[in-house]
Amino acid sequence: MSFVLGTSLLAVVTALACALPGAFVVLRKNSMLVEGVAHAVLPGIVVGYALTHDLNSPWLIIGAALAGLLVVLGNEWLIRTGLITGDAPQGLVFPALFAAGVIFITLDFSHVHLHTEVVLIGDLNLAAFHHLMVSGVSIGPRYLYVMLAVLAVNVAFIAVFYPKLKVTTFDNQFATVLGMRTGLLNTVFMFLVSVTIVTAFHAAGAILVISLIVVPAATAHLISHRLSVMLALTALFAILGAVGGFWIAYALNAATSASMAVFYGLVFIAVALIDRLATRVRRHRRSRVCQPAAGR
Amino acid sequence: MIDPIEFFGNHIFRMVFFGTSVTGLVAGALGSFAYLRKQSLISDVIGHSALPGALLAFLIAVAVLDANGRNMLGLIAGAVITGTLAALFANSIAVRTKIAIDTAMAISLTVFFGAGMILLRIISNGPFPGKGGIDDYLFGNASVITVADLATSIAVGAVALVLMLVFWKEFTLRTFDPVFSTVLGFRAGVVDTVMFATIVIAIVIGVKAVGVVLMIAFVVTPPAAARQWTSTLPGLVALSGAFGAIGSGVGAYLSVALGNVPTGPLIVLTLFAVFLVSLLVSPRRSIITAALRRARAREALRRELLAETADR
Repeated sequence: MSFVLGTSLLAVVTALACALPGAFVVLRKNSMLVEGVAHAVLPGIVVGYALTHDLNSPWLIIGAALAGLLVVLGNEWLIRTGLITGDAPQGLVFPALFAAGVIFITLDFSHVHLHTEVVLIGDLNLAAFHHLMVSGVSIGPRYLYVMLAVLAVNVAFIAVFYPKLKVTTFDNQFATVLGMRTGLLNTVFMFLVSVTIVTAFHAAGAILVISLIVVPAATAHLISHRLSVMLALTALFAILGAVGGFWIAYALNAATSASMAVFYGLVFIAVALIDRLATRVRRHRRSRVCQPAAGR
Repeated sequence: MIDPIEFFGNHIFRMVFFGTSVTGLVAGALGSFAYLRKQSLISDVIGHSALPGALLAFLIAVAVLDANGRNMLGLIAGAVITGTLAALFANSIAVRTKIAIDTAMAISLTVFFGAGMILLRIISNGPFPGKGGIDDYLFGNASVITVADLATSIAVGAVALVLMLVFWKEFTLRTFDPVFSTVLGFRAGVVDTVMFATIVIAIVIGVKAVGVVLMIAFVVTPPAAARQWTSTLPGLVALSGAFGAIGSGVGAYLSVALGNVPTGPLIVLTLFAVFLVSLLVSPRRSIITAALRRARAREALRRELLAETADR
């Protein structure tokens, strides 16, 4: 497989793996919490690398995902104490964890050579560098298969728990009344999001991974009224944004994740404007239809 | 370990200490209002979105004006503009579409930060004088602060603090009873704009010293810690500012003393330690006093019930 094809495929698969759980993140109003999770996995990745010396090791992925989960649990604990107001609990835990991760890196604690830019926005080309060889023929980047596995896990989770996710997302109290263990489901879901963030970290870094998770789902949310439609549109926007962002980055010689974030943003704005315009036209047409009726 | 006399005798260390302390003081004091209005996370958006502004200011200064690209005033101006645009963008998404504010903030933050990272790549690939170490804007580098930078930070920070003192009554009323404030005839839009402007200034003067990524900790952590010790607004603002300044100073001192540890992240950890201590041991509101109070109430209830059964 050629390098460009392998890397663009990797961009698409990473975008899909992040965007599908993102639909629920957006609907549950957890976007900024997940932004915290994405920062907090850094110390987990550095410590995990010191122990495993393999950025794709499953132990590293699970360990770092648990570090990310600290933000979710810490947020819930701080809210329960009743001593912190507003949205501050979400902003208290993750900067400390992220700062610890940055200090670990500069102390060369684990000899993991992560440049600051890679930490923040990842490096898709570097992530796609090692190709998997089958009898001397490249079958694409090794990392592509890791991301494919995460995508498969996410799709399987959403498929199996679809009814439960749906009811807890739209009416959490009703779900509790039905006897569902909403807290447990939420923790498992956030753990899965955290795992996705850790694996996508090499491609998109601590900050821009949020773009991959949130923006396609938000764009789909603008124009859909059913969860199933929204999921399908989320996948569509994710693929569209990944391909578009990849080629812009290729043309500008810029970082792929940064171009993807900007391109996703532009698609969001375009869809929001078109949706507004369409609503206005529809309203205008309806009022024109109604007027003669009123005149009669 | 380095002793304090040697520490303050060194010009660079002095600049690191005062540069970060000023940031901590202003961000801590003004962060109190963001905290009380339950809008702490917008500081994360403003912080990240300051990056493209700071870099555009560099580009304009170097390529158009042929001036020093790291000029503090230009940096602050650029960062204020893009930081404000990002916050307005997030707000307008939340108001005009059905997207909730948290997702709107995440969208705005990533778009502006992504644009900033593209600019960063353009600058580091291009032939611009003084581009070395431009990525210091990400995590800050307090050791490159000059006397002029420090003077600018103090002046701009002082303007923000004076604005806060002048509009103290309006800020207080708008924070605690927005409806009453409007009934009394204070323009909500004007008060909000001034308050928001002071918070933006507080965030962006820290860009050079502590970077855009971790700025949120300077705005959120000190008020959350100070709130555990005091119940009045003047007390909160003063204590939060003090926590910010002292935490930054101690963090800066530790980073020099330990050697080769970045200043910004170490200050964030120091502030977090202050917060944890406040949460655990403050005399009136803390986890330990709450637990003691609950245990005492439980004991009293038990005794009461036992006495009742004994009476019967």
